[in-house]
Amino acid sequence: MSEDREWFPRLVEALREPVRIDPALDRRIMRRVAGEAVPRLRWHEAVRDWLTRGRPVRLTPLGGMALAAAALSGVVAGRFWISPPAERPAVLAMPASVSGAPAAVQFVAVAPGATSVTLVGDFNDWNVAATPMHAASEDGIWSVSLPLPPGRYRYAFLVDGTRWMADPAAPAAADSDFGSTNSVVTVGEP
Amino acid sequence: MTIARTTRLTALLAAALGAAAPLHAQEPRLEGRLPETARVQVDSVVTVARQAGLPTEPLVDRALEGASKGATGARIVTAVERLAQELRTARDALGTHSTDEEIVAGASALRAGATPADLARLRRARTGRTLTVASAVLADLVSVGVPVDTAVAAVIALAGGAADADYVAFRRNVEQDVALGASPVAALGVRLDAAADRGELGQSAGPASKPPRKP
Amino acid sequence: MSVERDGVLIRRVLDGDTDAFAGLITRYRDRLGRYAVRMLGNMADAEEALQDTFVRGYRSLARCSDPDRFGAWLFGILVNRCRTIGAQRARRQRSVITDEATLARASVGDGAEDHAWREAIAWALAQVAPANREAFLLKHVEELSYDEMSEITGASVSALKMRVLRAREELQRLLLEVDRV
Repeated sequence: MSEDREWFPRLVEALREPVRIDPALDRRIMRRVAGEAVPRLRWHEAVRDWLTRGRPVRLTPLGGMALAAAALSGVVAGRFWISPPAERPAVLAMPASVSGAPAAVQFVAVAPGATSVTLVGDFNDWNVAATPMHAASEDGIWSVSLPLPPGRYRYAFLVDGTRWMADPAAPAAADSDFGSTNSVVTVGEP
Repeated sequence: MTIARTTRLTALLAAALGAAAPLHAQEPRLEGRLPETARVQVDSVVTVARQAGLPTEPLVDRALEGASKGATGARIVTAVERLAQELRTARDALGTHSTDEEIVAGASALRAGATPADLARLRRARTGRTLTVASAVLADLVSVGVPVDTAVAAVIALAGGAADADYVAFRRNVEQDVALGASPVAALGVRLDAAADRGELGQSAGPASKPPRKP
Repeated sequence: MSVERDGVLIRRVLDGDTDAFAGLITRYRDRLGRYAVRMLGNMADAEEALQDTFVRGYRSLARCSDPDRFGAWLFGILVNRCRTIGAQRARRQRSVITDEATLARASVGDGAEDHAWREAIAWALAQVAPANREAFLLKHVEELSYDEMSEITGASVSALKMRVLRAREELQRLLLEVDRV
């Protein structure tokens, strides 16, 4: 029927074809739904208020980026899933494939207009010069990857040698003994 | 500061701590990074902590952080002493056989607002498994705005049935939901329900034993 | 036909306008239906999965923390319903009932040759173990990332990769043998 090599793309293409479901299903569902109580939560007042008021003010910069990208990707790709934009910092807790082996962790900072950004934290003895980041884009995205053994590390970005900045995409450290907030990255959960 | 004064201060500290702390038992990483007085004091705190069997790396890291941020010696010492106390309290609450990682994570949880009693409850709720991840997740949930009591309740609810990887996924999901605009408590509630559906709330957990949700 | 955004419709439902939910059903029915049909192999089961999914979605609508992710959230419910229904059928009979001819007709395509090919695909897919089939569909038809798949299914990324691989090998074996016959 076809070249062996082409079977897979043809299979996927066929499976991705839209499927027509009987629209009468809608009525059946609505009949079942009509008999249900209006959906509520125990703290429904707070949630409803949130829904009708729109987004709360406290939206991290990257949450905003993710939303913007979602609006685009949802329409263009026809997919539900919100693909984070490539710039979305992924300070991922990468599981170490071998227990105790270092895993590469990528740190991304957003600092438009900066001339230098360094990564400073527990993993480099808070040495402000040890881990310079490199500009990954023209509009202020800086990044660096570090191999880190499993553990939990506090860190921050130092912009232009003077301004300390936490990582908005990472959990904040509860301790800010020295005036500026730090972030936490956890690598290789046991 | 004169050499004589430094020496006298060091001797006083050594006497006060009652430890045969050799004057040259220096934490190498601190060398050249802190003002000398502060370095000596931090070194003493570290030494005492080490002799008490507490993890010392976080103490040194904290001092180095202060140094990099240009904090005064006094402020650095205060921060290190505070952390040492938290490590001690965490170890008391979690038990003397706790691992270093558990103690450090417990201290983070205390800093985030959990009480020693909360840590003790967590230990009882999660027998036979380490508490490092659970405690860390507790602190992280607080950091994204979940009220500490709610975070404690959630972490303890998960303690019986969730693996460490489940805790990690739980935290990540709540963080993402919050980043995309959900209120922290609502996000927590959604993810707890999902965990319940997956049976991660443990054998004794059912709808009745879900943590109280605060509006 | 409503062109209001999901969030607007959801808000209306939560405010008591139940009929607004119909707009969401119409919007997502075929899209979810494609996965259900491929996964379960017959239209009756797929429709049951869809009904269950939408009703459950309605009941817990207030818990959908982000209306912009309603589709994704609903899809997660669907994957679970398909698992349950698939397992129920498997317990009641030895093999999954597949209705390849109906499935082939339901697809939006044309040509007799395509028709036979689609029947072959439907049959081959039904032979693949459910967990592997699920992973394969999520990866190659729904085009999810492995992280997204892990979030929905609860399985590890490495386990999912293995399942996708096994599904692909099985499908290759079945479809290329069928072709040669």
